[in-house]
Amino acid sequence: MGTRVFVTGLGIISAIGNGTEETLDSFNKLKSGIGRLTHIKSLHDNIPVAEVAFAYNDLLNIAGVQHSLNIYTRNTLLAIIAASQAVENSGWLNAFEKRTGAVFATTVGGMDFNEKYYKSLLESDQYKDFINVFDSADCGEKVASHFGISRNITTISTACSSSANAIILGSRLIKNGKLDRVLVGGTDALTRFTLNGFFALEILSPKGCTPFDRDRNGLTIGEGAAFLILESEEVADPQKVICEVSGFANINEAYHATASTADGFGAAMAMTKALLSAELNPSDITYINAHGTGTEINDLSEGKAIENVFNGAIPRVSSTKGFTGHTLGAAGAIEAVFSALAIREQKALPGLGFKNRMPELSFDPQLKPETMKVKHVMSNSFGFGGSNATLIFSKV
Amino acid sequence: MRAFIKSSGVISPQLTHNITAFPEQLHEVNDNRLACLEPDYRNLINPLLLRRMPRILKMGLAASQLCITRAGNVIPDGIIVGTGLGCLDNLEKFLMDVINNNEHVTSVLPFINSTHNAVAAQISLLLKNHNYNITYCHRGFSFESAIQDAMMLIGEKQAENVLVGGIDECTTDFLLLHSYLNAWKKPLSNLELLSDKNPGTIAGEGSAFFMLSGQMEPLENGVVIEDVHTFFTPEGADLKVITSEISQFLENQNLSVHDLQGVLLGINGDPDHDDCFYALLREYFHNQTALYYKHLCGEYYTSSAFALWLGSVILGESQIPRGITLKTDIAQPIKNLLIYNQINNSEHSLIFLHYGRL
Repeated sequence: MGTRVFVTGLGIISAIGNGTEETLDSFNKLKSGIGRLTHIKSLHDNIPVAEVAFAYNDLLNIAGVQHSLNIYTRNTLLAIIAASQAVENSGWLNAFEKRTGAVFATTVGGMDFNEKYYKSLLESDQYKDFINVFDSADCGEKVASHFGISRNITTISTACSSSANAIILGSRLIKNGKLDRVLVGGTDALTRFTLNGFFALEILSPKGCTPFDRDRNGLTIGEGAAFLILESEEVADPQKVICEVSGFANINEAYHATASTADGFGAAMAMTKALLSAELNPSDITYINAHGTGTEINDLSEGKAIENVFNGAIPRVSSTKGFTGHTLGAAGAIEAVFSALAIREQKALPGLGFKNRMPELSFDPQLKPETMKVKHVMSNSFGFGGSNATLIFSKV
Repeated sequence: MRAFIKSSGVISPQLTHNITAFPEQLHEVNDNRLACLEPDYRNLINPLLLRRMPRILKMGLAASQLCITRAGNVIPDGIIVGTGLGCLDNLEKFLMDVINNNEHVTSVLPFINSTHNAVAAQISLLLKNHNYNITYCHRGFSFESAIQDAMMLIGEKQAENVLVGGIDECTTDFLLLHSYLNAWKKPLSNLELLSDKNPGTIAGEGSAFFMLSGQMEPLENGVVIEDVHTFFTPEGADLKVITSEISQFLENQNLSVHDLQGVLLGINGDPDHDDCFYALLREYFHNQTALYYKHLCGEYYTSSAFALWLGSVILGESQIPRGITLKTDIAQPIKNLLIYNQINNSEHSLIFLHYGRL
């Protein structure tokens, strides 16, 4: 339905690098970004996390913005850095040459400043200048202002599928003829709020996540941002086209507020509907970038769903969260960038941390980067509230 | 892109939850915040679930339930929520738990309930509905994004009926923090909101859900959302930019400002915020009946959901309720109504409503 939607720009910053080249280098060297917590103080600093290597002031420098002019949260800085790469990559001249919008995604928003100043603000107005950066929209508005985008700006927050949904909305805005070009992506910085939330849920891995491994024991929180430039077939410069957004699905598992079904009902539904929307058969998919958080239930549920949908002919599958950790609201966009890179580089990407096959499953995840004909890549993102999204990217 | 408003369910600071018409009496409060007049939730939500349910979830589930019932219990093909601040009360609770107890968190429930998509997710869960589900959290664009999405789903034939809601709650901490930014007036009668010329407005909240449909039958006429548009002016509201956006928006419908009989404006009593509205009335909306609504619901990020309900009542009943008129310029009934709201002189939104055929 509607025009074709092409990806013409990629930008990424995560625990495995700033930019697509550093990122690919980490994949090739099987170098994980999981390590110790350094940028925030927390009681739980013995639990591994996947931090972006840069401290706040370094991020200001990389983003090339001045703190004196505006208040930038860590979330916003990560977003500006990743979005700038995507914009530059796509050959973007200005926000007005094409009908341009922006769809952002985040779960924590300006929580890093919120946790710093909230208590004090309940006592006095000393830090009142920070009040307007706490919410989920501040980041998107700062990024939109940075690039001069003024129409069709919004922010999606559907927990860990947020930025996958941003890519879906961006594609639909183009297909519906509302826009020619959309900056889409997500950002989530590591905060004490999320670290404590997932700790209290008892799903943080004490050693670092090992997706699809028999002895997996939880997820590892990461941070980062990724953005893509989507353009309609009509306006995209053919020289800049990296791949196509060929299919997508958003469904709700409607099973539990934080858990998924053991048989992967919702995951299978999302994948099946995405295949339908792309008019592809399961056998057309070369590589699946799985949600693969490394929790007992997710990997079982998603693994079962993959077996059911792909029925005996399972494509290459990996969860890249062994590299980046689970970047929550940014995960969908980060893994969409990985999917696009898999197509650009014609490589299936590896996972990390796998030793033994899960007794419930009949397949192992991809363990090394593998050069092959990559035609169609599927990317899964599943969130709290049963919010499941699947994207399919195709070589053009 | 068009959608028929099949039904609504509204919990607001006015007595709106038990009726679909405009309430006979306007609710007056002498304060600088307007809180929702809430229904007896036990009639709308399973009492077993109610016990530990956060207030915003109650407001969301109850309003959506009212809306679904009034739509004849259709199964929504999509569930879309816009919320400026999400489940703020639980976010604050969990944050204070982390801070005050030095990360020895006492309960994980507020963390789960603080997720921005909790309302939309709970609606799907209660309905056992596996269809499209999404939540927009972008200040003054949250509800507009939700309507736009619903209308695209209908246009794409992905959906016939879509449940769309705008919801925000006001918390004590939110009031306090924003009082530092001079957001609120001194306590006053909400019905006198526009007579007070001091800075600030009155805080509000609400939960308004709509069943939007691509199908009007068996009705011949009804209230139709023709289109929605948002634009962002980080450097402040410039009259030229606003009128040009409105003109372009109407032109996309093959209309001009002369085709509008009514405008429903997001005037909130703050002189700095209202400047652009009064300028529009002086220089652009010459021949329209001008109406306002924030004295009834207060200021909050998704107040345009309340405005949509009010607009649908005005068009549906073809009469203007008392106490919402700024000026009446023409005697003909309103068939085309433009809702224009803006927040912080930066987030602007336009919703165009028409009474007629789909």
